[in-house]
Amino acid sequence: MRFRSLAAFPLLYAVLFIAIAAFAWSLQGGVALASFTFSQRILVRVLATVGCFAAVSCFERGDHLRSAWLWLGGGTIVILIRDLLRLFPGFAPQGGDPKAQIVVTALGILSNLALLAGIWMLSRSWKMAAITLPGGRSGFGVVAVATAVIALTVTGPGAYTHLQELARGDWSSLVLVVSAVVDIITLCLITPLLLTAISLRGSLVAWPWGLVTASQLAWLLYDIAASLRPGLLPAGLPLPEVFRGLAENYLFAAGMAQYFVIHQVRRAAGAPVAPGALGPAVE
Amino acid sequence: MSLSQQLAARLAPYIGDFNAQMWIKSVARRELGLAPEDLTVRHLTPLIDGLRPFLQTLMGRSTAENLLQQIGREVH
Repeated sequence: MRFRSLAAFPLLYAVLFIAIAAFAWSLQGGVALASFTFSQRILVRVLATVGCFAAVSCFERGDHLRSAWLWLGGGTIVILIRDLLRLFPGFAPQGGDPKAQIVVTALGILSNLALLAGIWMLSRSWKMAAITLPGGRSGFGVVAVATAVIALTVTGPGAYTHLQELARGDWSSLVLVVSAVVDIITLCLITPLLLTAISLRGSLVAWPWGLVTASQLAWLLYDIAASLRPGLLPAGLPLPEVFRGLAENYLFAAGMAQYFVIHQVRRAAGAPVAPGALGPAVE
Repeated sequence: MSLSQQLAARLAPYIGDFNAQMWIKSVARRELGLAPEDLTVRHLTPLIDGLRPFLQTLMGRSTAENLLQQIGREVH
């Protein structure tokens, strides 16, 4: 029941977000909507951070998944700091302070790399844990190619445009290039995450994997929504923000699910073991 | 119920029935050179040692150790 509630939470949040966004738009138009979407962006980043560090808290130093969740939590904190800095005039997207813009760009790149490291570590767990993925090598190959094609189709054109801007000397595009490349790699990593979740389906451990996969799929939807032509969507429907919220909330749910899974196993297994009795770390 | 079936039944709620059977089969072959159906209680310790790294990856060392000790007590 607890895990089903966690899985349902991001969807309920998205419905509520759309309703409030439409209400804000009908009252005061773009200003109220922008203010609302910014505050909800901060809220979902905070929730994602809480989820990641809840997951970190149930592992010990040297545990593979602790490192993975630590990278994800660290990356989320950095992007949260960047978003908060944007409240200050110099750090705003159109701000005139070049040093402030460098800080914002550096934080964006750092965050992307940290999140990639976390997803990379999660995505290689199936191999370390000898999980048998469904479909064998050929199944993995088919899903991997399909995911790579989708990732390139969605983020490739944007990455190429930002690369051209960077080549013309627009250094503010650097973070967008890095972000696009990281997006492509991260989206490709959906394959092992998804197949791990499918392989573990029906088991307790499957929950965090399924919810992390849902988070990555929501980022894919975010990229699709963000690449749509302006004016294609109703003005009162900030679809990219809906999917951003969905992605961050699924990360929150995944972190909390990881926390509850470990505590449930511990309860089922009896008293905790003294640290000195443990064997060597897997890593 | 054979040892491999007992172990698989205890691991299945956590990692799924299929993965539990594959883990036991893989460890039995690699560590002991045996088929799962040939495993007996005297093979329990090397089996649990062989399962440990897999479980540690998914649950961390402390939780994996707790669970393996619990399973070891139950199938004795």
